[in-house]
Amino acid sequence: MTILVEWEDLVYHYPGGVVALDGASLQLAAGQRMVLLGRNGSGKSTLLRHANGLLRPQRGRVRVAGQPLDYARAGLNVVRRQVGLVFQNPDDQLFSASVAQDISFGPMNLGLDLDEVRARVAEAAQMCDVGDLLERPTHALSMGQKARVALAGVLAMRPLALLADEVLAGLDPWAYEQVVAIFDRLVAQGGAVLLATHDLRLAERWADVVAVMEQGRVRV
Amino acid sequence: MQVIDRYAYANAIRQVDPAQKGGLALVALLLCLLLDHPLVSGLSIGWMLGLAVGWARLPGRVVVQALVAQALFLLASTLSVALSLSWGGVAPRGWAVQIGSLWLSSSPAALQHALVLVARALGSAAALNFLILTTPLVDLIDLLRRLRTPEVLIDLMTLTYRAIFVLLESLERMRVAQEARLGYCNPHRAMQSSALLISQLFIESYRRSQRLQESLESRGFQGTLRVLPNTYRHDVWAWRLGAVMVASLVLARLTR
Ligand SMILES: Nc1ncnc2c1ncn2[C@@H]1O[C@H](COP(=O)(O)OP(=O)(O)OP(=O)(O)O)[C@@H](O)[C@H]1O
Ligand SMILES: [Mg+2]
Repeated sequence: MTILVEWEDLVYHYPGGVVALDGASLQLAAGQRMVLLGRNGSGKSTLLRHANGLLRPQRGRVRVAGQPLDYARAGLNVVRRQVGLVFQNPDDQLFSASVAQDISFGPMNLGLDLDEVRARVAEAAQMCDVGDLLERPTHALSMGQKARVALAGVLAMRPLALLADEVLAGLDPWAYEQVVAIFDRLVAQGGAVLLATHDLRLAERWADVVAVMEQGRVRV
Repeated sequence: MQVIDRYAYANAIRQVDPAQKGGLALVALLLCLLLDHPLVSGLSIGWMLGLAVGWARLPGRVVVQALVAQALFLLASTLSVALSLSWGGVAPRGWAVQIGSLWLSSSPAALQHALVLVARALGSAAALNFLILTTPLVDLIDLLRRLRTPEVLIDLMTLTYRAIFVLLESLERMRVAQEARLGYCNPHRAMQSSALLISQLFIESYRRSQRLQESLESRGFQGTLRVLPNTYRHDVWAWRLGAVMVASLVLARLTR
């Protein structure tokens, strides 16, 4: 079993002194469905932000596909195509007023040719069931629709590991099932999914591994 | 703004290349300014309304309403050109009305001058209306990118346009939250609440910019916002129609 992402004894203090991570360790292996639970402010989002080098720990180490994270530009580029991160609030991620253009941003950054980018946008849109929203302006979408567009924007990069922060909140039951099915497909293809959530039902029903965060530490 | 946006996305020529729509509007605008004659402006207004209703299938009511609103505004602001005020015992030339020791006067020349001004401005406004009611800003930005506008400007426009809607939304949310807690029950409280709202909005936009930065980085941001260019349709006969329009405007000027 290959470990895709490994957090090793991380300590992180936000500027201003809040201790968000206090010796957090966790491993996400290929083919795993993992749910990360924890009270508000327990450090879930902070942990996810370490996985692709957005934050750099004050102590400890992050490894992606076995390699310790290299925080130089080139290293980060490699890691960010392997680890996809979907954020808690889609309005923070959607930067373009055009849905299609927003989804194309990630694949464009991978340096693919335009036809390949078009194919990926179409594929991701179809997967997330936002194909009919491609020509709509971003600001005319509902919250659940925005969440699915944000997810499509990350899936279009075909990450190995998908880490999602609360993406299921605000989805209707139908869209919820659909997004869970997308996660399953990713896992079936040898990827891994980690969901930070407050959804206990999902933890019980769907997850292979349930991790719980408490005051900056993880219990599995 | 929301209204403009709605029509910009839902009209019959949404998929037409913005270069074509922009080209037509720009030509009409330039001719209005260069030929500078009320007849040309009037004709150009007619053309733009015709294209908006006939080609883009916009509701005529909306297009006319927009123009009327602009016309009223223009009339109000050219009032000072058409009319003049003076003191003193002698009546100014032209038409004049006396109010106490004030003379309110006008003359054929002044009226003519005002008419030319209004016509020119209204002709240009009609051309711009046609463009913004048929072309979403994302397409205009796309066009600017094709015209090799510096990336920094393009990125700024993209982010600003999106931020407007996000901030409007959070503004509305915060206002409702304050309202629900009686934040606007009297003028004094209303003042305090508004001040709080403004400062919160500043903090909010700062935080948002940070989170946006993070999410862009996560998707491999390389310093510019590279996105897929749109694909558009070309209407060949629209070019022909454009040529006819130019000819008619020039002819109208020559016959005067
Ligand atoms: N940008 C920041 N600056 C300072 N402190 C922060 C920042 N972001 C988070 N924190 C603090 O770090 C701690 C962990 O926050 P984090 O966002 O990781 O929690 P979380 O588990 O994701 O919570 P939630 O369930 O509410 O999303 C909290 O005490 C929070 O107040
Ligand atoms: Mg969080």
